[in-house]
Amino acid sequence: MEFFEKEVRPVLVNRCYQCHSVAKKTKGGLALDSRESTLKGGDSGPALVAGDPEQSKLIEAVRYKSHDLQMPPKGELPAGEVETLEKWVKMGAPDPRANAVAAAKGGRVINIEEGRRFWSFTPIARLEPPAVPDRASKIKTPIDAFIQAKLKEKNLSSAPPVDKRTLIRRATFDLIGLPPTPKEVDAFLADNSPEAFDKVIERLLASPQYGERWGRHWLDVARYADSNGMDENIAYGNAWRYRDYVVRAFNNDKPFDQFVIEQMAGDLLPSSEEAITATGFLSLGARVLAEPDMRKLQMDIIDEQIDTTGKAFLGMKLGCARCHDHKFDPIKTDDYYALAAIFHSTRSLSDEKMGAIKFWNEHSLATPEQVAEKKKYDELVKARHAEVTAFTTKARNDLKAELQNHAAEYLAAAAMFSPEAAPADVERLATAWQLRPQYLLACRRYLDRVPENPFFAAWREFADEDGSGVREHYEPLVAEALKSKKGAVYGALNDPKGFLAVPDAPADALDAATLAKIAAMNDAVMEFENKGPELPSIMSVADDKIVKTLPIHLRGSYLTLGKPVERGFPEVMRTSFAREIFPAKQSGRLELARWIASSGNPLTARVLVNRVWRWHFGQGIVASTDNFGLLGSRPSHPELLDWLAGQFIESGWSIKDLHRLIMKSAVYQESSTANYSMADGADPRAVDPENRLCWRANIQRLEAEEIRDAMLSVSGWLDLTMGGKTIPLHNREFVFNHTSKDHTTYESARRALYLPIIRNNLYNMLEQFDYPDPTMPTGSRNSTVIAPQALIMMNSPVVMECGARLAARLSVLANDEQRVREIYALLYNRAPSEREKDRVLAAVRDFSRSEKPESAWSLMCQTLLAANEFIYLR
Amino acid sequence: MNPHAPSSPITRRTMLQRCAGGFGFLAFQALLAKEQARAAVANPLAPKQPHFPARAKRIVFLFMKGGPSHVDTFDPKPLLQRDDGKPYPFEQPRIQFAATGKLLKSPWSFKRYGQSGLPVSELFPNVAQCVDDLCILRSVHGTNPAHGGASLKLHTGSDTQVRPSMGSWLMYGLGSENENLPGFITICPTLAHGGVNNWGSAFLPAYCQGTPIGNASIPSDQALVKNIRNDSIGAALQRRQLDFLAEANRDLLNLSGPDQAMEGRINSFELAFRMQSAMPEAQDVSHESEATKSLYGMDHPVTANFGRQCLMARRFLERGVRFVQVTHSDGEVQWDQHSSLHKGHTKNAAEVDKPIAGFLRDLKQRGLLDDTLVLWGGEFGRTPTAQGKDGRDHNPHGFTMWMAGGGVKGGMAHGATDDYGYFAQEDKMHIHDVHATILHLMGLNHEQLTYKYAGRDFRLTDVEGNVVKALFA
Repeated sequence: MEFFEKEVRPVLVNRCYQCHSVAKKTKGGLALDSRESTLKGGDSGPALVAGDPEQSKLIEAVRYKSHDLQMPPKGELPAGEVETLEKWVKMGAPDPRANAVAAAKGGRVINIEEGRRFWSFTPIARLEPPAVPDRASKIKTPIDAFIQAKLKEKNLSSAPPVDKRTLIRRATFDLIGLPPTPKEVDAFLADNSPEAFDKVIERLLASPQYGERWGRHWLDVARYADSNGMDENIAYGNAWRYRDYVVRAFNNDKPFDQFVIEQMAGDLLPSSEEAITATGFLSLGARVLAEPDMRKLQMDIIDEQIDTTGKAFLGMKLGCARCHDHKFDPIKTDDYYALAAIFHSTRSLSDEKMGAIKFWNEHSLATPEQVAEKKKYDELVKARHAEVTAFTTKARNDLKAELQNHAAEYLAAAAMFSPEAAPADVERLATAWQLRPQYLLACRRYLDRVPENPFFAAWREFADEDGSGVREHYEPLVAEALKSKKGAVYGALNDPKGFLAVPDAPADALDAATLAKIAAMNDAVMEFENKGPELPSIMSVADDKIVKTLPIHLRGSYLTLGKPVERGFPEVMRTSFAREIFPAKQSGRLELARWIASSGNPLTARVLVNRVWRWHFGQGIVASTDNFGLLGSRPSHPELLDWLAGQFIESGWSIKDLHRLIMKSAVYQESSTANYSMADGADPRAVDPENRLCWRANIQRLEAEEIRDAMLSVSGWLDLTMGGKTIPLHNREFVFNHTSKDHTTYESARRALYLPIIRNNLYNMLEQFDYPDPTMPTGSRNSTVIAPQALIMMNSPVVMECGARLAARLSVLANDEQRVREIYALLYNRAPSEREKDRVLAAVRDFSRSEKPESAWSLMCQTLLAANEFIYLR
Repeated sequence: MNPHAPSSPITRRTMLQRCAGGFGFLAFQALLAKEQARAAVANPLAPKQPHFPARAKRIVFLFMKGGPSHVDTFDPKPLLQRDDGKPYPFEQPRIQFAATGKLLKSPWSFKRYGQSGLPVSELFPNVAQCVDDLCILRSVHGTNPAHGGASLKLHTGSDTQVRPSMGSWLMYGLGSENENLPGFITICPTLAHGGVNNWGSAFLPAYCQGTPIGNASIPSDQALVKNIRNDSIGAALQRRQLDFLAEANRDLLNLSGPDQAMEGRINSFELAFRMQSAMPEAQDVSHESEATKSLYGMDHPVTANFGRQCLMARRFLERGVRFVQVTHSDGEVQWDQHSSLHKGHTKNAAEVDKPIAGFLRDLKQRGLLDDTLVLWGGEFGRTPTAQGKDGRDHNPHGFTMWMAGGGVKGGMAHGATDDYGYFAQEDKMHIHDVHATILHLMGLNHEQLTYKYAGRDFRLTDVEGNVVKALFA
């Protein structure tokens, strides 16, 4: 005991208590300030085994031999203190410290029963729309009854219906992401039947562009991308199959429950290529593919899948429970590892090719014939590459020989100008001597810099006005050296850093004509390569070795394992008291998928109808579209949300029916301008400035893709071809290796949906206009106003090209007035006022008095595309 | 939240999230003038009060992409020289990037410099002359042994998820001092290994994002901000174009009633127009004296490119830019000598040594070094053991970074690696500790600089980070 007091206690107090004592902190659940708590240990088990230092974690930690467990973390203890602790444990760890101090502080204890009472976990309420008889004129669908009832509570009136031009513009962008054509607007204006707008909705829902627009919304949620991003950015060359699957699903109005099941477990359904493609959802997340720690990588991938599944379908941040019980929501670490066990039984990485950069699992669609054909083709590609290399090498060698043959002339000409001479002068001189200006200049600079070699001493000595002295001196020397191929002169001629050095990179070495030839050859090979067969395959997951339980990973690390948990669903969301029983020979993903997509799970339908509402109105009933937890927002209209969710399920999970329901309601057709007068009741601008109660339509800025597509569309440039592989890279090709050279091209006239989505290096126009981070699910995009957006509209080639094409489209019209009318019809779906027309024409005249009179109309078109009226929907 | 609320009370969060005016937020000031009572809501980019008096006002990070070897530069190891060719006597890391062999002594010799007598290898003869200004951190360690993960960890504090870059956190915490320039600029960054995520703002407001000038594949004299120039029309004509645009936009505003976002967008064009002249002016080094250019090595082809990057950095710092990163990277992974250590490190050091020394001297003679923090380092160091005959592998377990100026002690070395330089051993400084210390020097408490996103408070240092006060002057 004396030993403890004198030797051991000071070490523990001075070195350990800061982080491991009840009075201060109990990191890792470990308190070392009482006998009991020391023996009990922390999350990873007892801190010591009395009498056995070799089995004691405490000793292992202070010995600092294992890299995974080292204490104290900042630096090793002096050897003497380590010995003290070893000795103490060996003695049986005598410890007089009473258990006066309470046990280590426990964390929050999650109460599941209480958790179930939180609004988003409660069953969907079946209720009737409220009766609001005095507002009958504002009620077109039951949705309006819910809206008006809330407004009435606050004594607020809603805005009047919007005019027909604005309505068709709003609806067209909303459903297909493109502007209505002047013809479509005219037809709608001419149709005075009560079903006129219904017809517009049906036409738009039947348009193939509908799936491109609404599929894109889902792709935000599915954090879709064509490249891995993260540490090594390689192409997801088959992700497009998932993208096209989503577009088809929306166009075909695939029931949403089926859509969920296919994405989570399509590989476990009766075999279908379509359903396997859907599991790309689990496969195309951003991964740290060069992670050398395979077990960590596996758990990181599982984490990404759990996190995405939670946010995308349930509006829950399940990822938080990886390291500890969720701090706010009733989700325990057990729940997390119950799900992780399901995903652990799922194969996400390929078994083969486990080099530094891991490969993801793919489902091959290739036949043996295709494989053989591919192999043959690859040989041909290789041969063509070799041809280019041979050509380049020969060009270099020829160049080198040419320079050497004229070495004396280079030296002579170099004597005739200073290294600071203007490039034009050097060029003139070079032409006169029939030399290459680049090499002449390099030679001159070299002579100025290095010439310690005696070979160059003569150059200074003989330097004269016309170079003849230098030439006469060197000509015989060079001729002799080239003949004998040895000696100092030969060395100087061939010095890779010398006066005739040919740079390593062909681009620096060869002349423009040769480079163009090589570039053309390379292009041809690339084209040939690209035309070659790529073996068809699908990014997908499959079942792997089935684990029925998975140990809890303390603090998220596989190095500190806790108790095993069985596969299961989060307890607070379970609809039955019984724990599910999972098939022994399957991962359980299918059961998980069916549970998520069941009508008994209140989150799935609520989260989806809320997102659809958000995508129509610009703000959700629950503003935090991806977080329905404690820290998320509360619904502004909880009854409406449940009513919509109920309708949605009853309709067979039809999203198109949901559009119909929403768009036919008065609230969708409100004006964005409030004509408020005192007689209307309270001033909504003061009572509800954020418009949570939907007293008017929100002014919405077009999303990034809409801005681009609309510009291409009105300038007659847009190509509406659908689907197919659009990323100009092979599967698994580096998007960026180390060179930082961007080989991806965005010069495509197809819809923005089909532009490559490169994680880490998004297309600038998409990025600046708030395209969401494609590494995490996003149900609600931002809408910022930042200066780089203005720079794009002012200076980017694509916007200027749209202006020019639009101007060209107008040039066929008879006169300027017609042109102005046509622009306004195309861009703004309305006629210009007299004042606007005059102003445009005056500005065009003004622009013509510039350095480029011929482009005055292009400039005007660009300006009108940049205007707020084009990119804000009212 | 609705950015289109007509003259509504504006919450700070609404402003930050929806209406960030990019570089320069003047967009909304006219509107806000009416709201005197809410003066606190003003321009989020305006300089903000730090949590406590700052030792440094701005920071420049000289990023040596690929991982310079610490045992060959700033962390001499006598036992490594002695035991060349013998096995490393301790346990190697459980997870290694590649297999390495026996100990490999440094091919370079070290000499002591300055009053402090700190040793620097012959790779950095010029920087060595500044050693009394350097605060050499010899015990830095990270977690990730691959370039991408390590780079993300160094820049954002996370190697598994997309998180805001440290420059973005500083923008968020301190704002900017020049309304016509971005407050966070990265000169010729590499697009590989995390790419944009290394300077992205992630969930922080868009105005916090870094603005790249060119990238590593572009020579620094040709590096430009995207779309900063109109190659087709001149400034005078563009001015007339924007006047027309503003008038049309104001007409719409009169029709629709006040709207923050639409009004902000009118002003964003004015900002962009001003930036078009401010940016080239800051980048233009042609009026610098020959002596200055020569100080940065711009008169020599080997050092010209990086010298120009450093000189541009100084010009940005002078103009109030908060965070400037200068990346030394090329078409390969510049400092990544798995083989040809001698050749590669010689070339790399030759390219940066003189420019960095010149940069430090220039900052000092202009009085900028006192409140400018200079940080130097790569995403990790290299193993003392050999890969092949003449190479070293990645080593995140112990490596060297250095600081200078901005309130740190000069002429000191902090911490130590083990006898051979494999693992950080004494006064270990994790990347999180480096971050916490940088924030502290800039006047920010790393535990208080938080941003609520998706329901929880995020920090640059997550739940880690210790401020190392021993470095402070």
